[in-house]
Amino acid sequence: MKNMMRSFLTVVLISFTSLIMAQDGEADRLVGVWEPSHGKAKVKIEKINDKYYGKIVWLREPIDPETEKPKVDKNNPDEKMRSTPLRGYRILKDFEYTDKDTWTEGTIYDPENGNTYNCTIKMTDENTLDIRGYIGISTFGRSDVWKRLKIPSRKK
Amino acid sequence: MKRLLSITFSLLMVSSYVFGQTDTTSTEEEDYSIYDNLEFADEGTKRFASVKVSGKSPDKLISVGYDWQGAYDSDAAALGLSPAENADITATHGFRFETNVPVISKNNIIIQAGLLYWNTIYEFENENQLVNPLHRTLADNGLNTIELSSTIYKPLNETSFLLFQLRGGMSGDYSMEELQNTKYNRYALAAIWGKKPNDRKQWGLGLSRTYRAGELNYIPVVLYNWTSVDRKWGVETVFPARGDVRYNFNPRSMLFFGFDLEGNSYRIGNQGTALAEPLNDLEIRRSELRFRFRYERQLTGFIWISAKVGYRYNYSFNVDQVADGEDFFRGFFGDQEYAMENELTNPLFFNFSINLVSP
Repeated sequence: MKNMMRSFLTVVLISFTSLIMAQDGEADRLVGVWEPSHGKAKVKIEKINDKYYGKIVWLREPIDPETEKPKVDKNNPDEKMRSTPLRGYRILKDFEYTDKDTWTEGTIYDPENGNTYNCTIKMTDENTLDIRGYIGISTFGRSDVWKRLKIPSRKK
Repeated sequence: MKRLLSITFSLLMVSSYVFGQTDTTSTEEEDYSIYDNLEFADEGTKRFASVKVSGKSPDKLISVGYDWQGAYDSDAAALGLSPAENADITATHGFRFETNVPVISKNNIIIQAGLLYWNTIYEFENENQLVNPLHRTLADNGLNTIELSSTIYKPLNETSFLLFQLRGGMSGDYSMEELQNTKYNRYALAAIWGKKPNDRKQWGLGLSRTYRAGELNYIPVVLYNWTSVDRKWGVETVFPARGDVRYNFNPRSMLFFGFDLEGNSYRIGNQGTALAEPLNDLEIRRSELRFRFRYERQLTGFIWISAKVGYRYNYSFNVDQVADGEDFFRGFFGDQEYAMENELTNPLFFNFSINLVSP
């Protein structure tokens, strides 16, 4: 009886762990490097503490032609943030996987105008994201399609 | 065992603290050069010219506004047995509602659908003494426009694009309770081929079938959107519909100087006015050139306000007889006579709107 109970608990534990891992596996498909439709930047999405964050890792125009220095977040409404470099800047924050290929509860920041929007990410296929920014209700937001880029191999 | 648990717990606490620092900037050192030459994971994926131009004013998804023109004179020509008449118009004003919402938004195509309603009310001095049928119908009914539109942006590659706009609707002295027959609907079309050489510049050339000059016309279109390197100055033009020089105080506050060309052909439906058969198929070829300053700023989030002030120049307020709604083409050089050749003097105008803009 004791052995049976132990076996049962083991099965439950393995099933539970597999379920969590499968869920994690599904959710982690968001991790990678993505290019927004405007092609001006590349965004690396990472998982940090069970949430997903995306930072700018590449800019088509990395140098501000006005200052001739690396671009900073000069349109941020918060003056203290205006000297923060754009490369490395986290523009996607706090996304959680819900279900049906969808990540919610996060925000997206647009450095072009300094606005932060609510955002929903939907994976339409393995290499395509539908990113919808909005305030309040999603009806009047705007969608952008991001494409996955091949992850680079680490330099030695 | 206790010791092991204690160490595990401490490690968990430390790691959650470290990973909890997910603020705006990533602090970890990273070799960003590895992202320089990445290929799409999907072979065959193409890059397309984005519709957005850096520094340009945001597109309006919904606009609710009010338009007001100050006092001016109207010289209406004689029509049939009705005499010519000079009348003082104390104000022309009305409500304006427009939507333009994306229904399909992909990298390789954007399709927007729009709805427009403009109402124009004419306030006359000594309204009861008006005898000219044009003045009478303006005083009694005013003018309305309802339009549906669709705009299609189709990028061809990273730098070239096509832009199409189709507008169709009814303009006239009808009431919202009794709309006019759809055979009086008028359609406008514009097709543009353009280039976007960089994020700050977009230009295009095309052709339009338009009523902006009041009557049917086929005229070239020039699209030009440009923003200076420092993002302070810009140009926003879809000639001849509108043109602006823009100054950006910041991305959330902008001042413009330019013009709008507004026009349409308004059917006079003879709803209880002095107009009588056989002059029952008349259309006002109304066109206004508006030179103005415009100021736009973000109120909060997606909500922006826009205020315009300027000078309205009357380009056309003539009247044509359009038998059974079958319009004809006069162009700039045709010699068909107007049923009425009217003159309006030119007042100052003011326009205010509150807008829901696209992110």
